[in-house]
Amino acid sequence: MSGVRAVRISIESACEKQVQEVGLDGTETYLQPLSMSQNLARLAQRIDFSQGSGSEEEEAAGPDGDAPDWAGAGADQDDEEGLVKFQPSLWPWDSVRNNLRSALTEMCVLYDVLSIVRDKKFMTLDPVSQDALPPKQSPQTLQLISKKKSLAGAAQILLKGAERLTKSVTENQENKLQRDFNSELLRLRQHWKLRKVGDKILGDLSYRSAGSLFPHHGTFEVIKNTDIDLDKKIPEDYCPLDVQIPSDLEGSAYIKVSIQKQAPDIGDLGTVNLFKRPLPKSKPGSPHWQTKLEAAQNVLLCKEIFAQLSREAVQIKSQIPHIVVKNQIISQPFPSLQLSISLCHSSDDKKSQKCAPEKPGQEGHLYVLEHNLHLLIREFHKQTLSSIVMPHPASAPFGHKRMRLSGPQAFDKNEINSIQSTEGLLEKIIKQAKHIFLRSRTAATIDSLASRIEDPQIQAHWSNINDVYESSVKVLITSQGYEQICKSIQLQLNIGVEQVRVVHRDGRVITLSHQEQELQDFLLSQMSQHQVHAVQQLAKVMGWQVLSFSNHVGLGPIESIGNASAITVASPSGDYAISVRNGPESGSKIMVQFPRNQCKDLPKSDVLQDSKWSHLRGPFKEVQWNKMEGRNFVYKMELLMSALSPCLL
Amino acid sequence: MGVTCVSQMPVAEGKSVQQTVELLTKKLEMLGAEKQGTFCVDCETYHTAASTLGSQGQAGKLMYVMHNSEYPLSCFALFENGPCLIADTNFDVLMVKLKGFFQSAKASKIETRGTRYQYCDFLVKVGTVTMGPSARGISVEVEYGPCVVASDCWSLLLEFLQSFLGSHTPGAPTVFGNRHDAVYGPADTMVQYMELFNKVRKQQQVPVAGIR
Repeated sequence: MSGVRAVRISIESACEKQVQEVGLDGTETYLQPLSMSQNLARLAQRIDFSQGSGSEEEEAAGPDGDAPDWAGAGADQDDEEGLVKFQPSLWPWDSVRNNLRSALTEMCVLYDVLSIVRDKKFMTLDPVSQDALPPKQSPQTLQLISKKKSLAGAAQILLKGAERLTKSVTENQENKLQRDFNSELLRLRQHWKLRKVGDKILGDLSYRSAGSLFPHHGTFEVIKNTDIDLDKKIPEDYCPLDVQIPSDLEGSAYIKVSIQKQAPDIGDLGTVNLFKRPLPKSKPGSPHWQTKLEAAQNVLLCKEIFAQLSREAVQIKSQIPHIVVKNQIISQPFPSLQLSISLCHSSDDKKSQKCAPEKPGQEGHLYVLEHNLHLLIREFHKQTLSSIVMPHPASAPFGHKRMRLSGPQAFDKNEINSIQSTEGLLEKIIKQAKHIFLRSRTAATIDSLASRIEDPQIQAHWSNINDVYESSVKVLITSQGYEQICKSIQLQLNIGVEQVRVVHRDGRVITLSHQEQELQDFLLSQMSQHQVHAVQQLAKVMGWQVLSFSNHVGLGPIESIGNASAITVASPSGDYAISVRNGPESGSKIMVQFPRNQCKDLPKSDVLQDSKWSHLRGPFKEVQWNKMEGRNFVYKMELLMSALSPCLL
Repeated sequence: MGVTCVSQMPVAEGKSVQQTVELLTKKLEMLGAEKQGTFCVDCETYHTAASTLGSQGQAGKLMYVMHNSEYPLSCFALFENGPCLIADTNFDVLMVKLKGFFQSAKASKIETRGTRYQYCDFLVKVGTVTMGPSARGISVEVEYGPCVVASDCWSLLLEFLQSFLGSHTPGAPTVFGNRHDAVYGPADTMVQYMELFNKVRKQQQVPVAGIR
């Protein structure tokens, strides 16, 4: 064996899979190999528990006698039950097994019972009625004890409730304040932007979200104002929420725009008094947060407007430079006229209250311009906001939407220019101020003329709806009592920024500058022309004949304003003629021409011998017009004409 | 924005283009028109690239890309008798990208340059049409600002044209007839210029009198 080399023998099972059957043709059908768990189950099936216990029985029979003293009890039990017959000493887990077994049995029984009970066919469960305990004590004592016990319980409940009530009453106040703070905060949150930084609540006053570029941060702080003495009476306007506003935004502010006729002393510059408006009797104590915040926001907006205006005032080059001194911007829209825009900010300090009260005679605010400034700054905000509006085409240049569309919509040069207008706030407001001033000056000129001159009358009809840079007035010149026939002069005055355009009824356009003298002269010359026109109209009505008419007479004394106008009319019979010359300055001169035969003092002519020549009109005689009766020129003229017309009756 | 009439002015007998233009502008100045800078209209021709024509054998359409200094931010692309596209000036960059589809015709750039005159509501532009280095003709554009319906103001335009063009007054442009009572737009002006340029291009074989 040793000499022989070790031979390797491979052992393998004859067949890995068991053959189930071999067919007649020799093919073998295999059984599928068992899986691990199936294998285990198969092996478990093979164990014969009864055999095992039987062997144990046999084994137990042997040593039974050897150790009867310690196994006796177990054996007796075994005998009694007749179920488990083995020697406990040989198996350490037997007690566990025993218990498990008994538990299993009981469980099985219980399960069976329960399943039977559930069916309710054969068995039902009924509560077992227990017999009451036999009364050991007398019923009176028992009653007493039970009553006492229940009373004590009730008392305890009442006491507990009272305690809770008192506690809640005391806590109620604090809780209420706390609750109020939260609800107030909620209301604040609905109107203002808030954010939490650390343990503070900060709010945003600024107009940044509306498009403002003003660098002021404009934050305010929300304060909880709950530490109030509960014993004292709570003031009526008490609010558990308070706001802390930056010190530079406290108080109230407004922009004051005014136009002054004369330039003030240089010493007065920049000392716009912060005169107090009669403050509404504010209740003692702090105002409500909403009013506080609104006031602060207004201060912020006023500051922004003023900052923008003063920046523009410095940048814009104009013939007369704008002056920015302290809180005032001064500009000269027209010569000897001063537009001042000032920021009035009054805080509630003692210092400002000492300020001298403003003289009441000062030129008032131009409230319209102040309002327009606010409008303009908001428009400005909107512009900055809308320039970055989304969505935006990827290929288009950034900028205003109208600007972007100007290419595809083929805007021409004028339209593009109108988009690109980079007119600043100050320029706009100066233009508006100019217009307002020009309008008021025109109105004053017309009014003063109308009150000074009674004949002819001036009527001015102002349009109610105006542009900020243009307004119009219709001026009618009439004679009292003759409105229906004397309608020749109707003027449309378009008041612009720098000048007044007068559109005559016949379509002539005359441009007047801002000087009121021009307008006054123009109106005077028109009034003088009106008289002559009126005579013409009157002649038509009276049946007189117009011999000559001229708006601009080249003869006679030269008028300093405009030209004199003249008319000559002849009576229906031709006997008389009236010649009127009316100049704006020289006034009216009326001459009457008589027939030759009525002139006694006419020297006898050698040429005109024949009596027929006596029907020719002779020389003119001037009428003493101021001695004529009649309330106005046209009425006097009517009287004169009717006096010279032959009586038809 | 108004109604515009673009017409061609023949070169006067025995005069050069330059002299005829001067004659016209002098007439305008005599009328009282105000000089308001210059203007320029240019036109570039593109034809569809051969690769995209396909096998159907369809003829390549011509596309004209035009600019007008009156509409400085716009660029116009027109087909003959076809649609007119108005785009912003980025369109030129796009055309470079579309080289595969539209190819620029060589030496096809034609333009008219001249002076812009304002006479009350009328805007008059007298320009010299040039193609390459040589002057080919004269263009006269008259715009009447306050109206946008061509048929409403054509007679007014005609009268005004007669006042300084005399016997060379043109007939109503064809674009006026296309859409009766419709609102006149910038595209219609460009179509008129395109037609004018095409007319001038065809003329080139015939030597224009007066150009030496």
